[in-house]
Amino acid sequence: MPGIWIYSEDSAVARQLLTAGLELKTSMNQAVGVLTPNSEDAQSFVAAGADKVYVVRGSNPWPESYAGAVADILGREEAAVVLAGGTLRGKDLAAKVAAAMQAGLVTDAATITYANGNIETSRLIYGGLAVCTEAVALPAFVTIPPRTFAEAPAQGNGAGEVVTVEAANEDERISVTNVCPIVRQGTDIAGASRVVCVGRGLNKQEDLSLAAALAAAVGAEIGCTRGISEDYHWLPNDRYIGISGQKVKPELYIGMGISGQVQHVVGVRDAKVIVAIDTNEKSLLFEAADYGIVGDLYEVVPLLTKALQK
Amino acid sequence: MQKLLVCYKWVLDEQDIKITGDLSLDTSKAKYKISDYDKNAIEAGALLAEQHGVAVEALTFGNAAVKQSLKDALSRGLDKVFWIGDAAAEQADAFVTANVLAAAIKKAGQFALILCGEGSADAYSQQTASRLAVLLGIPAITFVQQLSITDGKVTAIRKLGDCTEAVTVTGPAVISVLPEINKPRIPGLKQVMGAAKKPAAEWKLNDLGLAAGDLTPKVRKLSVQGYVMDRKKVIFKEADQADNVAKLVASLAQEGLC
Ligand SMILES: Cc1cc2nc3c(=O)[nH]c(=O)nc-3n(C[C@H](O)[C@H](O)[C@H](O)COP(=O)(O)OP(=O)(O)OC[C@H]3O[C@@H](n4cnc5c(N)ncnc54)[C@H](O)[C@@H]3O)c2cc1C
Repeated sequence: MPGIWIYSEDSAVARQLLTAGLELKTSMNQAVGVLTPNSEDAQSFVAAGADKVYVVRGSNPWPESYAGAVADILGREEAAVVLAGGTLRGKDLAAKVAAAMQAGLVTDAATITYANGNIETSRLIYGGLAVCTEAVALPAFVTIPPRTFAEAPAQGNGAGEVVTVEAANEDERISVTNVCPIVRQGTDIAGASRVVCVGRGLNKQEDLSLAAALAAAVGAEIGCTRGISEDYHWLPNDRYIGISGQKVKPELYIGMGISGQVQHVVGVRDAKVIVAIDTNEKSLLFEAADYGIVGDLYEVVPLLTKALQK
Repeated sequence: MQKLLVCYKWVLDEQDIKITGDLSLDTSKAKYKISDYDKNAIEAGALLAEQHGVAVEALTFGNAAVKQSLKDALSRGLDKVFWIGDAAAEQADAFVTANVLAAAIKKAGQFALILCGEGSADAYSQQTASRLAVLLGIPAITFVQQLSITDGKVTAIRKLGDCTEAVTVTGPAVISVLPEINKPRIPGLKQVMGAAKKPAAEWKLNDLGLAAGDLTPKVRKLSVQGYVMDRKKVIFKEADQADNVAKLVASLAQEGLC
C-alpha cells in the first residue's frame, strides 16, 4: 500500500502522528498505516483511524534493532510518506531506514503539508535563529517531536486490518545492558507552569538561594542555562533550558543573569510571559522579553521577591 | 587496534548571523567554525587515540571555505585530515552528505571507530551517524555520553531522554557523541604551530565514484526566514530599583500573574 506510514516505539507518540497522518490522508488521498513493535496497542491505532497496522515482532527488545525490518516493510509497501516519532530512538531509526531506502528525511518538523507533489515541512535551524521551509521528494521521511500534535481520538468504527510480521532483529555484534530510567530530582521543569531561571550572572552556588526565594514566592521551579549545570554542576543537567536541554512552556518565565543567546531562548519561546533581569542593557534576553529590569540581580531579585511575597 | 576517524562539519557561526528587516539572514559578517558538537567528537577521538596509542584522523565535506578549518582541526589532537571542498556541499542534505562521507571513508581505509557529533550546529539534522552506519554496514551507537574501549570491545553509555543504557559492540561502529561527553581542549600555541606540520589530504568529489543520483539532494530548501519573537519588550531601567520592581509587579498583576 503506498500511502502514509507512521512509526514510533512510543505508542502515545504514534497516535499523535496519526493526527498528522490523517490530515495528509485527506490531502494526498492515500491510506494511512502504522508500524509498531507494541502488539498490545495495535487496536488503538485501528480505532484512531489507521487503515492498516503492522505489528513488527522480533526477539531483540532493543527498539533500534527494528530498522532493517521496518525498512523491508516500507519498501515492500512502497511507502510515499513516513512519519516517525522524534524521540532520540525514533530519530536514530528513521535515519537508518531513510538511508536504507535512499530517501530524504527532515528532522523535527514543526509543520507538514503535501504540496506540488512533495512533502513540505518547516523547522528551526541555526540553533533556533531561523525557520527553514523545505520540500522533500517522495518517499519522504519526517520526524516530528513528541507533543507537536494531539493524539488522534478513537472513532470506534475502525475497520483497519492488523498484520503481524516476524522481524529478524538479532545482531550478535551488539549487546545492550543496564537500561536505567533517569530519576529526576524534583518535578520535571518541562511541565512547570512557572520557571525562575538562573544564568552565569550568578556568582556562586550559594546564591542559588536568591533564586529559590523568588521561586518560592511565585510558585516556580528553578531552571538554568547550560553552563550552570554542565560546567559548574550547580544544578542537575535536566534543569537546563534550551536547544540541547529542556523546552519549557510556562505561563511565567523569569530569567536572571542570562545573556539570552538563541540556543537558550529557543527553549522558552512558548512561555506566555517572559521577564528578564540583567545588568547589561544589551543582553539579548531583553529582546525576547515582555518585561525587563536593567540592574544587578543581587539588588533586584530580593526586592522583587519581597514585593511578590505580599 | 585500528586507527580512529572523526567526521566534522565547518559551519557558519550563528552568533554572527543577523536577521534583517525583511527577515532574511545576513551572513556577510559571519565567520566559520568547527561545529560545536563536532569539537566534542574530535576530543573523544583524540582522548581514545592517546589512551590506546593509535592514530586519529578526520574527514570533512564542505564548500571551498572548508580548507580554512584544517589548522583548527589539526591543533585539536588529530593526526591527519581528509577534506573535500565542493560547492555541492551548499545544497547537500543528510542523504548526500552521508553518501559523500561513506564513499570517502571507504577510500581512507579501515577504522576501529567513526565518531560524529550528535548533530550539526547549523542544520542539526542528527542523521549522519545513523546513515553512515547503514551505508558502511556496521552498527551505529548514537547519543553517547560515555565511551571506552577494552580488549577491542567498545562500551558506550547512551542517554535517551528518559533513560540511559550501556551498549557494547565488537568490531567497527559509528558513534555519535553528546556535548556532555567531554570538554573540548583549547589548543595552545604549541598545538597550533604543530598543526601546520601535520598532513591534510584533499579529495575531489569526482574521485569518490559517486553517481549523479547519490549527489542529488532529496530535501530542497525553499526558504529561510529569521525567527522573530513577538514580545512586549517593556524594559524598566531607572536608577531606582525599588521603583523598577514596583512597575514590574504592577505589570505582572495586570497579566494576572500575581
Ligand atoms: C551548539 C550549542 C548548543 C547550546 N545549547 C544550549 C542550551 O541548550 N541551553 C543553554 O542555556 N545554552 C546553550 N548553549 C550556550 C549558549 O550559547 C550560551 O553560551 C549560554 O546560554 C549562556 O549562558 P548564560 O546566559 O548563563 O551566560 P553568559 O552568556 O555568560 O551571560 C551571563 C549574563 O549575566 C549577566 N550578569 C552578570 N552579572 C550580573 C548581575 N550581578 N546581575 C544581573 N546580571 C548579571 C551578564 O550581563 C550576562 O548577560 C549552546 C551553545 C552552542 C554553541
